Amino acid sequence: MEEAEKGKTSRYLRDKKGVSEEARENLKKFTRIRKSILDALKEGEMTIAQLSQKLSMPGHEVVFYLMTLVKYGQVQTGEIDDMDEYYSYKLKK
Amino acid sequence: MADNIKTSSYDALVIGAGIAGGEAALNLANNGYSVLLVEKDLSVGGKMILLSKVFPTLDCAACITTPKVSEISRHPGITIYTGSEVRRVVKKSENNFEAEVVKHPRYVIEDDCTACQLCEQACPVVVKDQYQYNLVGRKAAFIPFSIASPRVAAIDIENCTLCGACEKVCPTKCIDFTMEPEEFLVSVGTVIVATGFRLFDPLNMPRYGYGEYKNVLTSMEMERQLAPTRPFNTILRPGDGKMPDKLAYVLCTGSRDATVGNPICSQICCMYSIKQAQLLMGALPMADVTIYYINIRSFGKGFEEFYEQAKGMGVNFIKGKIGKITEKENGNLVLRYEDINENRLREAEHDMVILSVGVLPNPDAASIFQGEELKLDHLNFIGQARPLANPSETSIKGVFVAGTASGPMDIPDSILSAGSASSEAMSYLIRKG
Repeated sequence: MEEAEKGKTSRYLRDKKGVSEEARENLKKFTRIRKSILDALKEGEMTIAQLSQKLSMPGHEVVFYLMTLVKYGQVQTGEIDDMDEYYSYKLKK
Repeated sequence: MADNIKTSSYDALVIGAGIAGGEAALNLANNGYSVLLVEKDLSVGGKMILLSKVFPTLDCAACITTPKVSEISRHPGITIYTGSEVRRVVKKSENNFEAEVVKHPRYVIEDDCTACQLCEQACPVVVKDQYQYNLVGRKAAFIPFSIASPRVAAIDIENCTLCGACEKVCPTKCIDFTMEPEEFLVSVGTVIVATGFRLFDPLNMPRYGYGEYKNVLTSMEMERQLAPTRPFNTILRPGDGKMPDKLAYVLCTGSRDATVGNPICSQICCMYSIKQAQLLMGALPMADVTIYYINIRSFGKGFEEFYEQAKGMGVNFIKGKIGKITEKENGNLVLRYEDINENRLREAEHDMVILSVGVLPNPDAASIFQGEELKLDHLNFIGQARPLANPSETSIKGVFVAGTASGPMDIPDSILSAGSASSEAMSYLIRKG
């Protein structure tokens, strides 16, 4: 077995076993959704319901991906509405 | 035997590093015995480390678990294999067991990882975070959770696209995709089985709508929402991000129900639901919380007072059996239930429903024992040879059971059970069989 260079071993495993189609598709899906959410929030703060309507995406999918973007620091939570029901979300500066 | 199989020996093998397995390992090591602690997950701590608070004291679960886990991890007498499994155990003679253990590759050199999380930031892949019960995503290069032990990154190789972004940013060059599974042949004097329990999967009760109705959660999903390291910034409905204000708990979901194959009481659901209800009253002061129950079983020390405390805080208790849950267009949920006290059918609307899922056996450990059979009881928990005289004995002399592997129990009882199992294991080692 050819020894892989330290710090560049991903190529070794890629050549050996390849990457599953499912993993590729999952990455494409997340990249597309991430871009659509971030583009929508460039226009201003939005609630999950508003994002869901704008992106024609089910609410639970918006919750999952938006909260993931909050977790990884690309989006931040804004104010809650007057009815204390929905938070708005905005791009993290 | 293949050349790449490594051999070693210990006084004891403990299978499962949840709170019971960890406690048993610690007791043995504190008495001078060498212990191999094998955990299939990437972290020590089991389910307890993921809880918010514990009943009936409302102590922070992490504050209890973390020092214990740290003590286990740092103990010179305990060797820990995480991300590993025991494939086979054979009893050769008294005080002489042989175990095959496989350590799955983490693709990170544990000793070199500083938990800087730069790999996590660089990784472009997002998948469901199993440590947050799929409520939020995590990366394919990830630290399991903030208080994981070891706090070391891992690569989810099934979902990794092998783009190399993590390797490029790693300051210590500790990511290594050339790692292969390691096999070990281990000789031990005694074995403790602490493989814990499984939670009931409510997909097996379609009438409650779990999976289909996104605002129907399990109690573990709510537990994560209440934990300090929660997936959202507050309590939210996963269906649309609304802050709920009328929540319902459905007790005995998958417990005391022969139709789903679990006729017994899970012993913990009443109290963890009452605990969560109290925490919700604190997190959402304006919310109504209703608990639908068949019987409240507050049998332990301080449990009845804890139940009374919840009632005093305003938690609504309805003696009712839920027949069906349906969803309205706005995501609210209509519970159709039998009001047991009034002997009437009723309906009630809530905006979030939490299913208090029960405890199921994890019988996997039995199949790894070859030669002598590790017997299960009639419910598929690890069988106790003498449940009254010596609850930690199993059907194999020298193999002991700790914690919920033997049946439903709460955290203090799991720790007591681990104490019993470790004492019996030491006695077995001293007696030489």
